[in-house]
Amino acid sequence: MKRLAALLFGLALVLPSVALAQDGEEDKGAFISEEWELHEWIPIHLGPIDMSINKAVAYLLLGALCSCLIGIVFMRVKVGRDPTRRQALGETIYEVAQVSVAEQGLPTQAIGRWFPYVASLMVFIWTVNMLGFIPLPLSDERVTIAGVELPTLAIFAATSTLSVTLALALMTFVFTHVEGIRANGSWKYFKSWIPDVPKVMLPLIIPLEILGQLMRLISLSVRLYANMLAGHMLILTFVGLIIVLENVFLAIVAVPAAALFYLFEVLIVVSVQAYIFAALSAIYIGSAIEPEH
Amino acid sequence: MLSSFFFLAAAEDGADAGKAIALALGIGLGALGAGVGIGNIFGSMIQAVARQPELRGELQGIQWLGFALTEAVVFYGLIGGLLAYVLV
Repeated sequence: MKRLAALLFGLALVLPSVALAQDGEEDKGAFISEEWELHEWIPIHLGPIDMSINKAVAYLLLGALCSCLIGIVFMRVKVGRDPTRRQALGETIYEVAQVSVAEQGLPTQAIGRWFPYVASLMVFIWTVNMLGFIPLPLSDERVTIAGVELPTLAIFAATSTLSVTLALALMTFVFTHVEGIRANGSWKYFKSWIPDVPKVMLPLIIPLEILGQLMRLISLSVRLYANMLAGHMLILTFVGLIIVLENVFLAIVAVPAAALFYLFEVLIVVSVQAYIFAALSAIYIGSAIEPEH
Repeated sequence: MLSSFFFLAAAEDGADAGKAIALALGIGLGALGAGVGIGNIFGSMIQAVARQPELRGELQGIQWLGFALTEAVVFYGLIGGLLAYVLV
């Protein structure tokens, strides 16, 4: 049964590219990067601000819905004497968020305020990442089955676009400094950035420390973005090799390799990245509240 | 803009070839460093757990944190390579 499921997963990976096989000859590898081109589905323009619904936004909305459902289904359980599987799973999620994310980074008095933020960050990023590896009929390509035009199944993660991860990282960035200033007062907080060094070194150290704070923003967003981008690109590349080199027998090597990367991404990368993002957010906010640590 | 940076086996001119080499060097050297780093982390984790198995739970969080921080280095290389490829 498990083998059959794995086989179906492998087949599902191939499906999106089969529909693309009839594409033009001129640039055979282009379909891989076209996966990341976002077309407006429902155009919404507020003056200069483009708020159109595109593929990434649709995935984000779906992710928000699914993470709400995870919360309601697994956390809103009537607690009985014998825990059901639902309750056990919910408690596991809560325990990971509480023990290894919140308590690792946040000081004790701040857990009450910031636990909801880091926990929902973890669940939301995990859900969006996970949705990125389930073949869903949300793509720009169309395939006609029995006279009905349907979108092809495709894998795409909203977190593999830089705007999404940058927005999430920006939230942590703003919260960090707001909370740091609120807990310590602005003078004491900004002074805590600068370590104890001889006065001669200060002109060198101060720009570096300010740059370091901005680098946090970049590293936090680029880590998640590039992980998801590279994962999808690897899978698509391996499957796409069949089409680019026009050799069906390449599938014997390419599909298992793609399935292997798929399993690696689903089993390890998705959860680790969600955990890392939440844990680093907690650590950044915690270190702003108690800079002496 | 991003189209056709992949599968550029036959680069049209020297500039394209240089960009392809930049991309390959970015990801390759990034992967070299991160490979050593990740190996170090897991090796140390194995040693630590072998010496004190009861600390496994506490160490696991730190291990994954270190793993992700190190692994990100590859992707900085990848992004740098892509920037060199797409923008220059």
